[in-house]
Amino acid sequence: MNRREFLKVAGTGLAMGLIGQSSILKAQEKYDLVVISGEPAAATQKALEVMGGISRFVKKGQRVVLKPNMSFSRPPEFGCNTHPQVVVTVARACLEAGAAQVLVLDYPLGRGELCLEKSGIRDACKGLPNVRVLALEERKFFREVKVPQGKVLNRVEIMKDVLESQVLINLPVTKSHSATGISMGIKGLMGLIWDRKSFHFDYNINQALADLATVIRPQLTILDASRALVTGGPGGPGEVLKPNLIIAGIDPVAVDAYGVSVAPWYGQKFKARQVEHLLVAHQRGLGKIDIDQLKIFQGKV
Amino acid sequence: MRAFLQALSLFLFTLLFIFAAYGLPEWLPADLYLRLDPLLTLSALLAKKEYITRALWSIIIVGATIFIGRFFCGYVCPLGVTIDLGHFFFWRKIKFFHFAKDKVLRRLKFYLLLITLSAALGGLTISALFDPIPILTRFYTFTLYPLVITIFNLILDILRPLSTIFGWSTLQHSHYAQPVYYMSLITFLIFGLIIFLNRYAPRFWCRYLCPLGALLSLISPLGLFKRRVNQNCTSCLKCQKSCPMGAVAADPRQTHLSECIQCRTCAQVCPEKAISFLPKLSSSIAGEHASPDLSRREFLYGVPFGLVIASLTDRTPYTPLQGKSWLIRPPGAIPEDEFLKTCIRCGECMKSCVTNTIQPSLWESGLAGLWTPKLDLRFAACEQNCHVCGQVCPTQAIRALSLEEKNHAKIGTAVLRREMCLVWAENKICLICDEICPYNAIVFRTIEGFRRPVVIPSKCNGCGWCEQKCPIQGEAAIVVVPMGEIRLKDGSYIKEAKRRQLEFRPDPGDDKYILEQSGLEAEKESSPAATKPKGFL
Repeated sequence: MNRREFLKVAGTGLAMGLIGQSSILKAQEKYDLVVISGEPAAATQKALEVMGGISRFVKKGQRVVLKPNMSFSRPPEFGCNTHPQVVVTVARACLEAGAAQVLVLDYPLGRGELCLEKSGIRDACKGLPNVRVLALEERKFFREVKVPQGKVLNRVEIMKDVLESQVLINLPVTKSHSATGISMGIKGLMGLIWDRKSFHFDYNINQALADLATVIRPQLTILDASRALVTGGPGGPGEVLKPNLIIAGIDPVAVDAYGVSVAPWYGQKFKARQVEHLLVAHQRGLGKIDIDQLKIFQGKV
Repeated sequence: MRAFLQALSLFLFTLLFIFAAYGLPEWLPADLYLRLDPLLTLSALLAKKEYITRALWSIIIVGATIFIGRFFCGYVCPLGVTIDLGHFFFWRKIKFFHFAKDKVLRRLKFYLLLITLSAALGGLTISALFDPIPILTRFYTFTLYPLVITIFNLILDILRPLSTIFGWSTLQHSHYAQPVYYMSLITFLIFGLIIFLNRYAPRFWCRYLCPLGALLSLISPLGLFKRRVNQNCTSCLKCQKSCPMGAVAADPRQTHLSECIQCRTCAQVCPEKAISFLPKLSSSIAGEHASPDLSRREFLYGVPFGLVIASLTDRTPYTPLQGKSWLIRPPGAIPEDEFLKTCIRCGECMKSCVTNTIQPSLWESGLAGLWTPKLDLRFAACEQNCHVCGQVCPTQAIRALSLEEKNHAKIGTAVLRREMCLVWAENKICLICDEICPYNAIVFRTIEGFRRPVVIPSKCNGCGWCEQKCPIQGEAAIVVVPMGEIRLKDGSYIKEAKRRQLEFRPDPGDDKYILEQSGLEAEKESSPAATKPKGFL
């Protein structure tokens, strides 16, 4: 190869890279949220594409943590866990983007092995190489970190794997919650910490959740609104509606805010500003809360 | 050959023990060894005085013993294997002396058998205290199993830095839930004693104490295989010294047939090769030394003694209190009186329990209830997706139920102790019991101006998640009491629950009702915010 050829090839490569990147940048800037209607797997796939592809978040050789909600030993139709197809679609995409390892983690409320089994998430991920679905229920899997911006929370013990991985993708489900109104992305972060009791009893849970959101910052949130447990949350049984939506975004508050709008909670329509922990998180500068001011891509598959 | 069969038997016993856990396939009888045990089933049948289907399995052992002889002790019995192992490791080199009291001690096991069976006749099941299979099962459950898990976790912890470096993520995240039991140490001491006694005579337990061996020895002289000594015998007495059971008579040509476990050690050590165990039909019942050394008089003493024990154990306030029992029994347990008679205290249900909530009781229901299973719901709850305890119960003191049936087998009712509840007593925001309840049996109602949790008894099946998760220190502010439990000997729990107008199915309508009057403080009811569910502004 002579110098000219080298320059040509290199130039083409560079140009392609720039074009490619700029298109990604466009996608990134174009929409705050991507909302896709359809079956969970296909809709998740499409949402990832519109977001600019998973490779925007996951680079070759990186270790990725997926945080679905798999806190209860109940099958998907109860609406209290993330749909297995959402998890497996994202896990597969991560592998295709070259992730070295994908850890699907939660600290469930029920007995771990049963939650993994009944939620259907472990079975769905079976056969995917380098994907591990784990319920971590021992303190030794957690490590304490400081919360510099914490108002009520000074220190919190977080899963070591989350601290040591390069990418965290939050995969919550839309459901009601008897303490925080709704439980989606930000509330779901409580599945990554050891001491949840103090959130309920020692602190104002809404402040504590905002504090937690300052230290655990998922690069991407994909909210599973294929089903919405609108009463009886977080564990059910309760009324399950089927909005059939997948909502993806980088802004964790914006994703949850949209999630509030997809269904009537306990028979009432609410705005995100009425959800205290989302409002607090917004006021603390963690994200946008008014969905009518967001650029939203809406699509169907 | 014998060692191989013994190892195989112990392996099978261990394997079945491991399989006795959540996820046990319906077709696999994890309680096989307990079912095969004729003493357990006989005493359970005598005590319950009713037919038990799984008891039929023990006919296999009885039949085989009549046909072959007392092979069970020498080849199958897992405790026998364990005792032989202990002997091999610790006392192989010890020279044993002939016990002067040998003949007297030998009768002990017949006494134990008599007492066990007559006590059973009197309605008290004590077979499990002396029967080798439950003794070993309990040792496995309460001692070995927790210990092995501890060691596993220790190894995993030691390997963890290494597995982290090499990225073996499965190993890196592995941890086995540590099972714990109330009576680990007692069980260990009893088992240790049984093993240690072999220091004084080989197979001390089998020779002198084992009532199952005694039962089998009553029918074994009928067997086809018998020790036979031919003319080559020089009376060197090597066989007599080597026999682990002391079954060779003073004249080495003769055998105490009821004691012989057909281990064939004598045939191996005989320098003249004069001993054989070939099957041979004989018209007489072997003639020599066929019956146990128990006189009619002793027999006549043994039976009333057992009956007296049974009657005294039963004549305590515990028996009339049974109807007011405060123990929570596993779901599907038959009515208390029959339960105590049928349960053989093997510990299989406690091993298999996925949440570890089934625990052995000590004195809580009297001597008659020693080692019977109870649920410790403050420690762990009964899981909705699991029904394995009934599956593994060898005498069906806990009935094998389908998951649907099991979830209708109400084991108690949650009662809220308002003086301790954070919400009732201190006006704090706590909702854990409501959050965790799988049946929506706990609802919030506005009472005296505050939202308070209330239990709906007709929806509560006593699973105990609320009691376990209740965040206050010490005793929970919400406790499950046996009130309203359903104990059926037969028939459908679903039908019974319907008859009692209980509803254990998800009912989404309920929460709507509660939330119409929600909002933490009722003072706010005038403002529109008061009509909103908690968590919304």
